[in-house]
Amino acid sequence: MTLIMVVDDDQDLAEMLGIVLNGAGFEVDLVSRGDEVMDLFRAQTPDLVLLDVMLPGMTGIEVCREIRAESMVPIVMLTAKGDTHDVVLGLEAGADDYMVKPFNPSELVARIKTRLRRQISESAGGLKIGDIAIDQLAHSIMREGKVIPLTRLEFDLLVALAKEPGRVFTREALLNEVWGYRHATDTRLVNVHVQRLRSKVEQDPENPELIVTVRGVGYKAGVPGTKEQ
Amino acid sequence: MSSQKRPWRNSLVWRVTGNSVLLSLGIIWLVGSALFSQISTGIFEEKLSNSISDSQSSLRSIQVQLAVAQFQNDAGIRKIVDQMISVASISGNTAGREVALLHFPVVRPVKNNYERTSNLLSTKSIPEAFRTKVRTASGLQWSRTKIVFLGGEKVNGIAVGGTVEIPNSGTYELYFLYGLTSQENTLTLIRNALWFTGLALIFLIGLVTWLVIRQVVIPVREAAEIAEQLSAGDLGRRMEVHGENEIARLGISFNEMALSMQQQISRLENLSRLQQRFVSDVSHELRTPLTTIRMASEVIYASRSTFSTKVARSAELLIAQIDRFERLLADLLEVSRFDAEAAVMVIEPVDIVQLLRRTVDYLHPSRERIINIISDEDSILVDADTRRIERIFRNLITNAIDHCEERPVDITIVESDDAVAVGVRDYGVGFQEKDSHRLFDRFWRADPARARVRGGTGLGLSIALEDAKLHHGTLEAWGRLRRGAHFVLTIPKVAGIEMATHPISVVPESELSTIVNPEDSEEL
Repeated sequence: MTLIMVVDDDQDLAEMLGIVLNGAGFEVDLVSRGDEVMDLFRAQTPDLVLLDVMLPGMTGIEVCREIRAESMVPIVMLTAKGDTHDVVLGLEAGADDYMVKPFNPSELVARIKTRLRRQISESAGGLKIGDIAIDQLAHSIMREGKVIPLTRLEFDLLVALAKEPGRVFTREALLNEVWGYRHATDTRLVNVHVQRLRSKVEQDPENPELIVTVRGVGYKAGVPGTKEQ
Repeated sequence: MSSQKRPWRNSLVWRVTGNSVLLSLGIIWLVGSALFSQISTGIFEEKLSNSISDSQSSLRSIQVQLAVAQFQNDAGIRKIVDQMISVASISGNTAGREVALLHFPVVRPVKNNYERTSNLLSTKSIPEAFRTKVRTASGLQWSRTKIVFLGGEKVNGIAVGGTVEIPNSGTYELYFLYGLTSQENTLTLIRNALWFTGLALIFLIGLVTWLVIRQVVIPVREAAEIAEQLSAGDLGRRMEVHGENEIARLGISFNEMALSMQQQISRLENLSRLQQRFVSDVSHELRTPLTTIRMASEVIYASRSTFSTKVARSAELLIAQIDRFERLLADLLEVSRFDAEAAVMVIEPVDIVQLLRRTVDYLHPSRERIINIISDEDSILVDADTRRIERIFRNLITNAIDHCEERPVDITIVESDDAVAVGVRDYGVGFQEKDSHRLFDRFWRADPARARVRGGTGLGLSIALEDAKLHHGTLEAWGRLRRGAHFVLTIPKVAGIEMATHPISVVPESELSTIVNPEDSEEL
């Protein structure tokens, strides 16, 4: 069974989330305080964490940072504020996705499923982007024999770009493909994660060569050595 | 700074100093010339009266000697005349007196001619007009003259003349000539002294004015600099106050003004912060229970097939109204964010054409055929906040669809050098011309009796206008009853730049020709 940890201080909402997620076929662990998360997290090793931003004990942003320090588990933030500031802080702390309350439960389930999906592609194996080898079966990437740890979302993002080298992906296309959004214009999500992915895979994140920005359009996989723009 | 480039025009110190120097130059010139002319007249008059009285006494003594000499022979008379001339030329109480004894002009030569001049004096020294005057008038006459010597020397002087009778010879004119050299020297000295004093005075006046005006201007300049810093946002700046004079009072009132301004601004900032905080709290407090309600209603809705008809319909209404409530809440929060001036812009390059197509696809995938997008370009890049522009599009398109009465909606995109405009034109119910501004008012409805359009919150256009303003753009509306409406959004291509052009006019082209048609206007 897939285990989802729901962290929210509002008991009723947590219970309601439990009902909805159970209905979608997930097992659910409920936590109501930020400072109780880590102990339970280590004991249960959930497959995904749903994390409210405002929590007693420790804020969701801090919890997110702590989880990210020891695990690559997908994290979806729940926020009651649609303000740019909170969202960006959460994403920078390591959240893969976020949902603004009040959200549509079926949308939430769809996003959770996207985050949990294991991409089994037919051409599994030999993908390359620059000097990085992507092993889709093992879900890992290597540079010169050394494994670079990525979250599942970062891995998916890199694979999406590497699968079609040369294609320019709009941010909306990436949101659709990687995050499972049906309609969204919040391109901050893409921007923040591209930055984080670059900081892990680029030799010089200030002058990216693997993930290249196409101004006003989006991103594409680059070929190192050929300076573009 | 420009005041360094053109000090004469831009600096009060230099202008006032320059003006006072010019004015005092005029005054000193006037006073100096008056003084000088008075002094020179005085000196001349003094010399003149001296000369006249001197000549008078000399003439009298000569007349007496000649009267006594009438019994002598010619040689005796000549001797007396010689002696008389030489004595007169050296014994005058004024140095530099010359004497000339001239015979009245006669037709034939006189037997005993005693004409004499002293010290090589030329007879040209006495002008002919003056000689005539002396001959015709009685008593002593005087005139200004130029004393000429045979060597060619010339000196300004005064000539005083009278007549004498010489026995056996006739009537002679006797002239005494007084040089003015020493008086002229004195006058030159005085003039030089006046010049020097005047120039020194002007320099001193300029210097004093400069020093004094600087004392006044420096605090004023300081006040101006501090005012500039205040308006630039450095609200803590204050003037230094010394003493109790007017400048100090300026400083005190200036500082009081700055203080009250600072207090007012920080009060407003505080209010704004409170408002933002409130919005944020309300947002959080309302959204969490709403999420629970939403999920609960979805769960109920999902199993409505097992309910009785009434309960199932209730579940449908519940979920629809929760949707509406959510939209209203989101719009209200957005409006209060605008009111608190807490709206944040996320500027990035956006392809306006693609964004519009996506919005249309999303809003009305099945009704695409009634919306025509008219654009010459496939892609127009603009610096803007994607979320806000998309929201403007959504609001305008939803509004058009709600009012188009199933007639087509035309969306035009036109770009110019600095701006891009999107016009949304429908041919539906339209609105009265006088309402074109009130349209953007919150919760305003053209006809209160009319059924509410499903889905609208009444805040859409008002939010769209605020979004456009945040981009330094405009959102205009044109409409006529039963002829439809035209909304035009114009935003600058580069964020924050003022637009010079409006690529689309808010009055639709098809309406421009009908405006002059009187029948149409009657209809309104």
